[in-house]
Amino acid sequence: MNDDAMLHDAELREFAHRLGTAAAERLDVERTAGAVVERLRSVPRSTRWTWVQPAWLRIAAAAILVIGGGLVTRVLVWHRAPGSAVVVPVSEDLTDLTAEQLREALTVLDQPVSEEGAADLGLDGLTADELRALLQTLEG
Amino acid sequence: MPQAEPVAAPLSDAALIAAWQGGDEQAAAELVRRHARALARFLSGAGALEADLDDLVQDTFIRAFRSVGKFRGQCRFRTWLLTIGGNVLKDAARRAKRAKLVPLEQELRATDGDPHERAVAGEAEGRLQECLRRLPRLQREVFLLRAQQGLEYQEIAAALGTTPGAARVHYHHAVKRLKEHLR
Repeated sequence: MNDDAMLHDAELREFAHRLGTAAAERLDVERTAGAVVERLRSVPRSTRWTWVQPAWLRIAAAAILVIGGGLVTRVLVWHRAPGSAVVVPVSEDLTDLTAEQLREALTVLDQPVSEEGAADLGLDGLTADELRALLQTLEG
Repeated sequence: MPQAEPVAAPLSDAALIAAWQGGDEQAAAELVRRHARALARFLSGAGALEADLDDLVQDTFIRAFRSVGKFRGQCRFRTWLLTIGGNVLKDAARRAKRAKLVPLEQELRATDGDPHERAVAGEAEGRLQECLRRLPRLQREVFLLRAQQGLEYQEIAAALGTTPGAARVHYHHAVKRLKEHLR
């Protein structure tokens, strides 16, 4: 570092050292000390520590919300998974259905369903008698 | 020959803090007397209006006394106090901005006091103050703690929760930018 730079650094430090000195000198320290003590006195000692509590309470409340929300979501997902798909009872009382009702049922079967439910909802699950009855009904 | 009475050594900051925690209000007052001017210089250097200085100093001490239980002696009490002062100043600036009052940036220099004294303070000092306000907060505080308060990097790092190396880097960046602005 050359002399100019060092001089500049020294000047900078000198300016920085003087910074705010005049304003600080004008501060009435005794009055400030009295005001601080007065303000401290106005807050009862027993409640001086209560400011910490809201922060902990907020953290605890946030934790409860996160954990509770997670549990609720988990429960909802579990309940929905196996039984939520639309199941049409094709193996029961098909002979009682009209052609219109069967068409509706087949339309429902054509709609996309979850992977898990797909195997249960196709015509593959019908017995030969049931399929025969279905065809007969469709033919009128 | 009468023996001279032993002069009582002034209580350390730690002793005064303990006394305050034990309920001694005068200990708190003594800590204010001891550190208020240094804190005021720091706040003024960091951009506080002189008109707000007393309130800011009070607020800093109040906040410090209420959280003194968290002070673990990782640095000197004064250094810890100065960092709290930085936070108080930042909060005040935020409140002023929200309330759409005169922003701190617009009128930070003292407008009262002796005109001659202000003139003597010098143009360069005023420009330095102006430039300091343009620095990022961390650079400004590290610069003031080092150049104005004369603290070691170790002490600054402990107060700001960083490493001495990082504090040194912040200081040098601040000096570089201040030189550029002052040129």
